Amino acid sequence: MLAAQEHHCDVVNEVICAPADVKDWFEFLDPLFTIGPLKFTRVSLLMLMAAAVAVALMYFGLRRNRPVPTKFEAAIQSLVEFVRDGIARDVIGPEGAKYVPYLLSIFMLILVGNLFEVTPLINFPITARMALPFFLSLITYFIFVVVGFSKNGIHYLTDVAWPRAVPIGLRWLVGLIEVVSTFLLRPITLAIRLFANLVAGHLMLTLLLGSGVAFVLAVGEIGPKAGLGVVWFAVGMVFFAFEIFVAILQAYIFTLLSAVYIQASVHPQH
Amino acid sequence: MEGNIEEIKGAIALIGYGLGAVGPGIGIGIVVGNAITAMARQPEMTGTIRATMFLGAALTEALALIGFVLFFIA
Repeated sequence: MLAAQEHHCDVVNEVICAPADVKDWFEFLDPLFTIGPLKFTRVSLLMLMAAAVAVALMYFGLRRNRPVPTKFEAAIQSLVEFVRDGIARDVIGPEGAKYVPYLLSIFMLILVGNLFEVTPLINFPITARMALPFFLSLITYFIFVVVGFSKNGIHYLTDVAWPRAVPIGLRWLVGLIEVVSTFLLRPITLAIRLFANLVAGHLMLTLLLGSGVAFVLAVGEIGPKAGLGVVWFAVGMVFFAFEIFVAILQAYIFTLLSAVYIQASVHPQH
Repeated sequence: MEGNIEEIKGAIALIGYGLGAVGPGIGIGIVVGNAITAMARQPEMTGTIRATMFLGAALTEALALIGFVLFFIA
């Protein structure tokens, strides 16, 4: 908001005015402090905080195995059960138990990171930086490729590139499409899906809530037109509720798709 | 002149994103509509159908989101 005023935004004559550079609101390039070669920005601190919160939730939720768990413990346990039964066992099958720790880790990290978007005073989803989604999708990629080759040997590659179920004339074309989509597009779309959803949500919230506040604060300069800010703020609050849903759904989808890709390597014939 | 070309590039990227959102919009409509039909037919399968619906919607949505990212890159 302050940035918009510094760029001499003409709030009297223009109803909607763009900042000089929209990147001003979304980049924190100056490191807050430096330890040795590591530069800590606000985002990297938030990433460490998300990891700490995820670990703390798991630790305090599963520390004691009581016959009657408290509400908090029951919630964490049902979350773990949801990943174990609803994602790992239902998608991958009996072999899924091996992948529960990985799936639970990425689910918790992404869930906490996404919910930072709607947490007051933080309001920044760490998954809206390409580094985190892309690195997580690279880990998934590494796992499903390694599992595919170790379970099926070279047949993993030949089954993808030379599908026997397809008529011989089209086989090379289908094989080419399958190779590109499996080994090139999967990690990219997995990362972009999470990243773009959170960036879009963060942009939406910043523009609606931020411009709502800016309009209402400018009531001295523009008079009754400031009432528009109330409308924008109200629409922003509706999107705020929607973004909570999106944050949870995207964590679920990232984990579910990771499980689906691993399943395709464990049982390549289906 | 320089500024005009920048604005035209931005406008073309915006139109491209709009066009790119049409296909996935129709696709998600088909996915969710068929999921509702399936749930109405077999309410006991709702859990499985919902998980599969989210999966299909997510795979379709990726195309629109690539357009969204390209809009910022362009």
